[in-house]
Amino acid sequence: MTDVLLIERARKVYRGMGTVREAVRDVTLTVGEGEVHGLLGPNGAGKTTTLKMLLGLVLPTEGRFEILGQPATPAARAHLGFLPEQPYFPPQLTAGEVLDLYARLSGMDAAGLRARIADVLERVGLQGRESSLLSTFSRGMLQRLGVAQAVLHEPKIVVLDEPASGLDPVGQRDVRNMILDLKEHGVTVLLSSHQLSEIEAVCDQVTILNRGVVAAKGRIDELLNVRGQTSVRARGPEGELPAAIRSIVADVAFSGGEWMFSVPEDRARDTVDALDDAGWDLVSLGPKRESLEDYFASLLADTAEEMAS
Amino acid sequence: MTRRVLAIARAVAADARRRKIVWVIVLFAAVMAAAIPSLPSYGVGVVEAVYREVALTLTYVAAMVVTLALAANRIPSEAEGRTVYSVLTRTVRRWEYVVGTWLGIALTTGVVVGAFTVIVIGVGWISYSTPMWILAEGTFAIWLEAVVLAAFCVAVSSAAGPVIVATSALAFLFITHSRSSLMTPGTVGYTLYPSLDAFNIIAPVSHGSGVSLGYAVSMLAAFVGWAGVLLAAAVFAFSRRDL
Repeated sequence: MTDVLLIERARKVYRGMGTVREAVRDVTLTVGEGEVHGLLGPNGAGKTTTLKMLLGLVLPTEGRFEILGQPATPAARAHLGFLPEQPYFPPQLTAGEVLDLYARLSGMDAAGLRARIADVLERVGLQGRESSLLSTFSRGMLQRLGVAQAVLHEPKIVVLDEPASGLDPVGQRDVRNMILDLKEHGVTVLLSSHQLSEIEAVCDQVTILNRGVVAAKGRIDELLNVRGQTSVRARGPEGELPAAIRSIVADVAFSGGEWMFSVPEDRARDTVDALDDAGWDLVSLGPKRESLEDYFASLLADTAEEMAS
Repeated sequence: MTRRVLAIARAVAADARRRKIVWVIVLFAAVMAAAIPSLPSYGVGVVEAVYREVALTLTYVAAMVVTLALAANRIPSEAEGRTVYSVLTRTVRRWEYVVGTWLGIALTTGVVVGAFTVIVIGVGWISYSTPMWILAEGTFAIWLEAVVLAAFCVAVSSAAGPVIVATSALAFLFITHSRSSLMTPGTVGYTLYPSLDAFNIIAPVSHGSGVSLGYAVSMLAAFVGWAGVLLAAAVFAFSRRDL
C-alpha cells in the first residue's frame, strides 16, 4: 500500500514570554492509500498540533511532512480536504456562498459548481439551504456544512478532526456512514477523535499519541486482541458451566440467556467439545478482544508510569 | 493565484456588505450631509466652499470609521473563530489570504466612499444648483487614505488583537498627520517623516482649484508605497504565526 500521508519526527515547541512548552515531542506517522487511520489520544496529547503542522496552520519546529509524496506545501493540499473541530464560517455569508468560495480556493471550475454544491449539501442533509445565512444555522448544521466543504472538491485525502463533535446520534451515524462511504470510494481518511466507538467502527489502523509521542500504533485487531485467549459465547442453562471447562474459563458473564467467557487458545477445541457434549449451543468463538476503552486506559497508565520512573 | 485572491476579496466584501454597522454609518453620515446646507450662510461663493469642506470632512470621518470597523477585527476574529482554517488548508498561500482580505476591505470602503460621493455631489447640486464634480477628487484621495489605513490594520492584526489594532490605528492617523506640527519644512526630518498628508487635499478641493495631474500621480505613488510596505509587513507577520 502506497503511503499518501507522511509525518516524520514531527516536533513543535511553543516559546512564550519566558515559557517553553513542547506540544509535540516526536511523532512519526504514515497513512496508506485508501486507509481509514485513527489518531487517538487524551487532551493535550498533541493530536491537533500534529494535524495543524501537516496542514500548514502551525509552523513545525522540526519534522518532515508529505502529502501524496510531495512536501506539504499549499500546492500539495489540492487533493486534501479538512474538517476542523467545531468548524465556524463567516456568519454573514450563505451556505452557497461559503461553498462557492471554498470551491474556487480549491481550484474548481465555475462550470457545474452550482450543481456540485447542491449535490454535496444534499449529501450532508442540508438540501435547499444554499441561500440560508450561516448566522441562522445550528451547531449541528455548521458541522454538517463543515463536512460538506471538506469533501466538496472530491479530495483523495480527507483529514477529520473530531467530525462527530456537536452532532446528535443521527448526525454521528451519518458521519460514520460518510467515512465508510469515502473509504468505499478509495478516499484516504485521517480521523482524529475522542470517540473510541467511532474509531473502532471505521478505522483500519490507529496511532495513539500521549504527551507528544506515539504511544502505540497498528491495526486495531492487533492492538486489541488478547494474545493466547479465545472468547466464547454459548447458550445454555443458567447456573453452572459444564464441569469439563470450569477450571479453564475466565472473565465469565451471563446475560440474556447467553454465557460469555474466555479460555486459553490451545483449549478452544476441548471447550467446543465440552459444550457440545453438554447439549449447549455455541453462538460465537473468536480471538478475545479488549475494548478500545480498556486498552486506551491501560496504555495511558503504562505511559504515565514510565514517565514517572 | 489572482483567482484565489479575488475569491477571498469577494467573500470579505460580501460579508462586510451584510454588516449593519457599515450601513448605520452610511445612513448617519448621509443624513449629516443632507443637513450641511442648513449651516449659516457665509455669502455668495463662500458657502459652496464651506459645503465642500464640511462634506469632505464628513466623508473622511465616515470612511475611517468604516475602515476601522471592517479591518480591526477581521483577521483576529477569523483566527479566533477558526474560519481561517477552511481557507488556509486549501491551496491558498498566506500572502494570498492577507492580500485578499485587504482587497475585500478596500472594495467595501470604495463602495461606501462612492456612495458618499454621489450623496454629497447630489445634495450640493440640489442645494446650490451647481454640480460639484470636484468633490470626487477629494473623496478619491480619502478612499486612498482609508485603504492605507486598512493595510495598517491588516498588518497589526496579523499579530495582535482588535483593541491593539484600533488603538494603534488611531495613533497611526494622528502621527502621520502631525508632520507640520512636529517638523520644520525643508529639514531632513520633515522629508523623511512618515506622512499621509499627500492624501489631504480637502483645502484645494474646498477652494475649487483641485489638484494637478502631476500631484494626483504623486498621490498614487505614495499610496502604492504605503500599501506595499504595510502589506509586506502584514504578510511577514502572518506567515510566521501559528494558528
